[in-house]
Amino acid sequence: MLILGIETATESVGVALGGRDGVLASVTIARGRRHGETLAPAVQFACRHAGVELGDLDAVAVDVGPGLFTGMRVGIATAKALAMALDIPVVPVTSLESLAESTRDHHGLVVPVVDARKGEVFWSMHRSDADGVTALGEPTIGSVDDLLAALGERGQHALCLGDGAYRHATALRDGADCVISGDRHPSADTLVVIGARRALREEWVTADLVAPLYLRRPDAEINWETREVRA
Amino acid sequence: MRLISSSAEETREIAAAVAGVCRSGDTVLLSGEMGAGKTVFAQGFGAALGVREAITSPTFTLVNSHPADGLTLHHADLYRLDRTSEIADLALAELAEFDGIVLIEWGEVTADDVPGHLAIHICPGDPDESEDRREFELSSTGERWVGRWDRLRERLSIFAEESC
Repeated sequence: MLILGIETATESVGVALGGRDGVLASVTIARGRRHGETLAPAVQFACRHAGVELGDLDAVAVDVGPGLFTGMRVGIATAKALAMALDIPVVPVTSLESLAESTRDHHGLVVPVVDARKGEVFWSMHRSDADGVTALGEPTIGSVDDLLAALGERGQHALCLGDGAYRHATALRDGADCVISGDRHPSADTLVVIGARRALREEWVTADLVAPLYLRRPDAEINWETREVRA
Repeated sequence: MRLISSSAEETREIAAAVAGVCRSGDTVLLSGEMGAGKTVFAQGFGAALGVREAITSPTFTLVNSHPADGLTLHHADLYRLDRTSEIADLALAELAEFDGIVLIEWGEVTADDVPGHLAIHICPGDPDESEDRREFELSSTGERWVGRWDRLRERLSIFAEESC
């Protein structure tokens, strides 16, 4: 079981190769926002030094957000292209799931928080225990106050992580029973761990079904008053 | 702020004056019907920022990114889009974040998504008077432009519409 993990929902590019026994190779390029230029060479580099061929891959795991859109679309497009060309499935993973998974050794309520800008955050709630990490609800977008209300409602001590948690650390510590610790950004290594586990259970999709996670607002027709006047 | 341009050359001068007060992170929304002069404005704007390559309308490429002096000019055109998710896919706000200035043709439909933008509406003047005459209406939202507004007005004073 060989999984390629592609993480481009942050300013960095992350690529990892591995399977059930762990990560074989991992490459991170943190030279801000050069996803289009660096992702494909990073995949090639990781394969070469891990001694594997693209044809050996069983599945591609890719971060579908929420996160940096300009990066994410490069990773998603690349994952889809590889999966189609190699005729293998894709394991789509949200950045929130990936962050939650990175705290596996911590037991209790885990709340990954991703900065959505304009004062908003994406978050989801997870229970982490000896059996692993389990989602307790759907990913949500809202203000920091909305998050504080959700944490208050849950009424449990929480571990918050992710760039949104660090950005709004003071508000979170003052307004909720929580600690802020752990990773700021999801990693390609975690994608491989999640990808390998889900691939065993065939929890995967075909490339055409992979899409970025939209949380901000529903899709609608553009109100083209000006263009209609012309037409 | 209302301005009058009597030629494509003056439109480029207006664009250069606007570019002169723009800084990294800004978003400028251009509106006006087909042939109003949005692309001419974009050319003058880009030249003033130090873009050396040719600037053409990105109607089909959606976004063209041009290296300029110390930053990147992202020139977008929303004309061909029909759904808001297609605008979201372009992640225009992210482009501005990283040493970028974003100039959006047909940008009026995304105005609510970009707080603190500069909006420029171009409309053709009275065709009997002159075919090249254009009227410009400049407005801004948010705090981002408040401190620069007087400087912008001063730079554009020679184009100010007298009777308004």
